[in-house]
Amino acid sequence: MSLKRLMAPLCLSLALGVAACGGDDSESDQANTNTTTTQEEQGGTAASQDGPVKIAFSAPGADHGWMAAITDNARAEADALGDVELIAAEGVTDSAAQADQIETLLAQDPDVLVMLPNEGDALTPVAQKATEQGIPVVAIDRALSSPGAARAFITGDNYGIGWQAGNYFADELECQGNVVEIQGIAGIQVTEDRSKGFTDAIKRRCQDGIEIVASQPADFVPDKGLSVMENILQANDQIDAVYTHDDDMAEGVVAAIENANRQDEMFLTGAGGSKAAMERIQAGGLFRATFLYNPVMSASAIRMARLIARGEGFEELKEPEVPSQIVVPATRVTQENVEDVIDLGF
Amino acid sequence: MTTAPEAAQKGVGVKAPSRRIELQEYALVAVVALILIVGAILEPGSFLTSDNMLNVVRQASVVGVLAIGMTFVIATGGIDLSVGSMVAAASIAGGQFVDSGSFMFVLGAIGMGVLLGGINAGAIAYGKVVPFIATLAMFTMARGLALWISDKQPISIFNLEGVRWFGTGEILGIPSAVIVFVLVTGLAWVLLNRTKYGRYVIAVGGNREAARIAGINTKRIIFSVYVLSGFCVAIAAILVAGRLSSASPIVGNLYELDAIAAVVIGGTALAGGRATIVGTFLGVITFALIFNLLTLMDLAVEIQQVTKGLIILAAVLIQRRS
Repeated sequence: MSLKRLMAPLCLSLALGVAACGGDDSESDQANTNTTTTQEEQGGTAASQDGPVKIAFSAPGADHGWMAAITDNARAEADALGDVELIAAEGVTDSAAQADQIETLLAQDPDVLVMLPNEGDALTPVAQKATEQGIPVVAIDRALSSPGAARAFITGDNYGIGWQAGNYFADELECQGNVVEIQGIAGIQVTEDRSKGFTDAIKRRCQDGIEIVASQPADFVPDKGLSVMENILQANDQIDAVYTHDDDMAEGVVAAIENANRQDEMFLTGAGGSKAAMERIQAGGLFRATFLYNPVMSASAIRMARLIARGEGFEELKEPEVPSQIVVPATRVTQENVEDVIDLGF
Repeated sequence: MTTAPEAAQKGVGVKAPSRRIELQEYALVAVVALILIVGAILEPGSFLTSDNMLNVVRQASVVGVLAIGMTFVIATGGIDLSVGSMVAAASIAGGQFVDSGSFMFVLGAIGMGVLLGGINAGAIAYGKVVPFIATLAMFTMARGLALWISDKQPISIFNLEGVRWFGTGEILGIPSAVIVFVLVTGLAWVLLNRTKYGRYVIAVGGNREAARIAGINTKRIIFSVYVLSGFCVAIAAILVAGRLSSASPIVGNLYELDAIAAVVIGGTALAGGRATIVGTFLGVITFALIFNLLTLMDLAVEIQQVTKGLIILAAVLIQRRS
């Protein structure tokens, strides 16, 4: 602990020292092979065209299939691109530790920092620091609280998941029936958004035609999903559909319904886009649809980081620069289109 | 607290249970009865049905088995913070044998549970690591192992009829998980209250030095309770996997807190030297009833959390009075 505290400012001052050195005299960089990337920064965002782009990557520890896929996809994309050197750090579970970890990454003088902040608010200062050092930041999934802290932000559409699910339920149930909502972790933005989108859509489409008979959190984990759903099944004789906030958690909800032998009474939808969920959708039955919140966004973030370092934009866009915000739609996956997206499953 | 050193001094012939513990058990019976009455009034159609009551005990069985093992650990004055993570590791270890049948799954789960429990045991009994730290280390290590071995993916055990029987089967209308839980509780009661081993466990927790002087191999006793906890983890892992029809590396989160809370609310002293299996059983049932009733009522989660906290506090206060 004390060693870490000592190291952080040390690393920081090293990083600043290197940057300052590059700023004073670009010729001195020639002598030091370790600081060639700093020289590239001096020419604005236009890095040299031939050298590899050095990308620092930080994400919280993989305590969930989705988070695991985020890191795996980033690594795979960096390998596939060829001209990207990835220095990745992962495994921390709290924001302070992630901030320390990012400081260490910054000391290695990357061209761009790609990060999935454990908490947007808590990681904003370190992102700000990177930006001030001339290292552009690409944030994934969770927004930083200061608009200047990140050069670009790519995220999924949590409200859209709820909204799409609500519309799907309205269509499938023809605005009639009893619905159960199994939420994620209570009190976090992801859960609030996925819940609000759903209730908004149902209210707007069906007024009071669809009744949400139970709405309980199960913390994104299958065993909690199982026991919460078991209790809800006890309380409700007729359930027509279940909206769950997460595919992994939905596995437990499915088990509860199948164990009670009530799978013909209702259908269920997930969120995220796990491979297991897509296989269930493909097979048909209880698990009818999921809405993508796809971890492939970390691979896109690596591509964006590379373009930012090179001072290029997307080929398909007229703008010469990478957009500062990208929201990936919550694609609806049903039996009809599951073939097309199953490779994206995690 | 006073019984244990006395027991140790008088040797093995002394009965461990005290009057205080009996009173606490009766108090908890009153708490359970109160919840049942309140529930029957608030949710007349769905709460006090035989179906739902079996559902409650079935849900209690996983944490229940863990809490039984935890009772022995806490009786020695120790703690095991790793049981939740170890449940995930044990079920994933079993899942590695998904193609070899249910028996191999069970062996794999037991092997991993006992192995990890044994590492805890060795570190605490012979390595002199404080139980809180040793099992905290295992808490993160076991979760990491589960994610690592499984490549972070759940393993479907849909074809393992034998394992799934533990989650979904029943005998004479009673769910198999309930039978396992009651069986484990009964065996543990005999072990703690009717054997020399049980008296040694209490004696070691009451006053280790006195127990040692009385001729008890205290290290071996302490070693054994963590292995026992690991064995209970394996049973819990089989129940969870059977229920979910899959072995998942992310199950078991914070089970240790539920288990510890049930043990303490049951009347076992956190400092050791005093333990009750019946109390633990009732403690587990109390928590399961509360969770069940609050979900049936579909209360908002924040109200559930406050209510749950108030009930825990009230239950402990009622015990202190009696």
